[in-house]
Amino acid sequence: MKTIEIIKAFPQPEGKILRTIDKKACEEAVDQILVGGRKLVREIVDLILEPGNGDDVRPRHAIHATAIRVGGSGKQKMRNTFSADLANTLADDRPLAVKGFVIRQLQICAGLDQADKIAPFLTNPAEHIYEYAAQALEAIGVETVQYFRKSYPQAKGAPRLTILQGLGVLEDKNSRDIFVSASEDKDLEIRLTGLWSLMRIASSRDIELLLSQSLKEKGWGRIKATAYCLELAEKLAMEGQKKEARTIYQEIKNSRKDDHEDYLRGCADQGLSLLN
Amino acid sequence: MKKILSVQTRRGFLAKSATGATAATVLPRHIFGAPHTPPSEKLGTALIGCGGRGPGTYSQLCKGSEVKLVGACDVDLTKAERFSKARSQGKAKAYQDFRRLLERKDLDLVAIATPPHWHASISIAAAEAGMDVLCEKPMTRFIAEGRAVVNAFKRYNRVFQIGTFGRFIRSEDKNSILKHKIMASGLLQDCKGVRMKKGGLKIKQWSGTPGIAPQTVPDSLDWDLYCGPSPWKPYESRRTGGTHRGYWDYEGGGMCDMGQHHFDPEQWTYAKDHTSPVEITPFAPPAHPEVTGMWAWVELKYADGFKFVMESNEWGPSYDRQPVRDVSMLDLSTEDQKKIESMPDPEPLLSFGEAVKQRKQAGGHPEAAHRAACILHLANLAIRLGRKLNYDPDNEVFIDDNEANRFLNPPMSAPWRV
Repeated sequence: MKTIEIIKAFPQPEGKILRTIDKKACEEAVDQILVGGRKLVREIVDLILEPGNGDDVRPRHAIHATAIRVGGSGKQKMRNTFSADLANTLADDRPLAVKGFVIRQLQICAGLDQADKIAPFLTNPAEHIYEYAAQALEAIGVETVQYFRKSYPQAKGAPRLTILQGLGVLEDKNSRDIFVSASEDKDLEIRLTGLWSLMRIASSRDIELLLSQSLKEKGWGRIKATAYCLELAEKLAMEGQKKEARTIYQEIKNSRKDDHEDYLRGCADQGLSLLN
Repeated sequence: MKKILSVQTRRGFLAKSATGATAATVLPRHIFGAPHTPPSEKLGTALIGCGGRGPGTYSQLCKGSEVKLVGACDVDLTKAERFSKARSQGKAKAYQDFRRLLERKDLDLVAIATPPHWHASISIAAAEAGMDVLCEKPMTRFIAEGRAVVNAFKRYNRVFQIGTFGRFIRSEDKNSILKHKIMASGLLQDCKGVRMKKGGLKIKQWSGTPGIAPQTVPDSLDWDLYCGPSPWKPYESRRTGGTHRGYWDYEGGGMCDMGQHHFDPEQWTYAKDHTSPVEITPFAPPAHPEVTGMWAWVELKYADGFKFVMESNEWGPSYDRQPVRDVSMLDLSTEDQKKIESMPDPEPLLSFGEAVKQRKQAGGHPEAAHRAACILHLANLAIRLGRKLNYDPDNEVFIDDNEANRFLNPPMSAPWRV
């Protein structure tokens, strides 16, 4: 059956919404896509267009439904095959916006084997594809951290912030130096992402840095940096490092003297009481 | 089981902190040291998200308190200016970026009525800035956000109330109180109760429109800030202004829009504020990647056997797995019935205004609101994934389904994170 015929099982909008949908027909179409393999997957992706360039509701729906179908226990082989077929389309000459859609579907189903196909987009600032790539890799898991580490030195602007946050999301202890350096950056959000990442890796040797930076920051920066100090104290306490957690709470209690920060002294008191 | 990134658990360091209505440690922002706002003075208030439900949510925030509007914020600045003009003759400052608003030192209470993809991040930031929050429903866009909100409000001892109030009526209703006591007692083993919500979830009304061509972003709208923690997409007007409900990026269709109204009081009645379903079974066609759509029914079973069922009544077959059946005293032995009769009634729920004054938890506190939102998210995830899901309500992860777990805590767009 022709590709166009297979995806006709999926609905077109009626009165703006997907009002009429045949569950069985859609599920059978997904079966056919899985049987059709790499050639059919590529033919469907070929039907996906840049937003605004035409109607592609059905092929998008078909690819997504297949990415969903291969999830769950006992489907590893099917998932690997489909994910590989889909990831292969990223090497084709097609619009970045379409590749962005493909990456978002890989976020649902791909494994580590597909990470090297996604990673090259981490530093590309166009069409927000760096964001989609980072989120897909984060979803795949901690094993993708190598791609973030490798990309960070080359990244600029929004991709740099996104990759830095990815290293924090993946709690990469090997990136501590990057986080420390970021915490002193001229850009507030880079600084805060560095501090947040240090909180995530929860090393007691960063207590002083987080506390001192939280005092240097003003406004939004101070609110968030202080939050990261309190979260670090909780993490350390959970790991049994009560003395270190106490240091954080005591310092916050002692240093927040302004009336409008009195509530922070309450947080510190609560933290101290929970340590006992 | 594979580790789920970043999911905060409920068994963290703060688990020992104040959580219930009896907790007296929800201390006001100014109680430590010399209060700079005497009780006789008005509380500084702000609204974030000034369109749609915003003005109504702000009115709820003000109930029972002496307030002064000091700020209005919206990614569309004209909406913030309009609200300030209507409620303060323009004296309250209009903001486009909530971060600038939360830096104010004269703010005590914040109403949040943005689209739901912003609810968690802004609620947490407001708590971090020392404010009490009334947040529109649904509480969150995904499950891990809810846990982060719960933890933040514990950490900062702030008051949070979700913007739905049906549980207050239920908590004063004799029949509902009896059911609450039966379920809370733990005496019902292998519970046979099945409660159904049939229709009323506005499935078609809040379905999204796929395939719309991108449009020019209006001058007054900061589109990047609108997208915020959700994946960036080209601007289309239907992604904003109420119709945002039909897009997975911002809400979860009629299920999330209406579901918290219905299931929040049900959850209180059946004493499920502390837990979530363990098995979720859907009947739905394959979902579209961007927009919400049709589904027939979802069954959500709790560990004690009790079930909530949602039937859309707008597409597909009716639910026929089990007859609907409520719980009653007849489900218990005579001896156990006597135990229920001797149980004290639950503590009255505090309104937001009362909670702010008494520095106690509000009736729609974060854990309850999160658990009610979980019902909707779990149902929607089962619909989207098209398969039965087994859920661990303590650790808040799916069992043996790593791909489903990717939807519990999807990565946010930097610099946003919870």
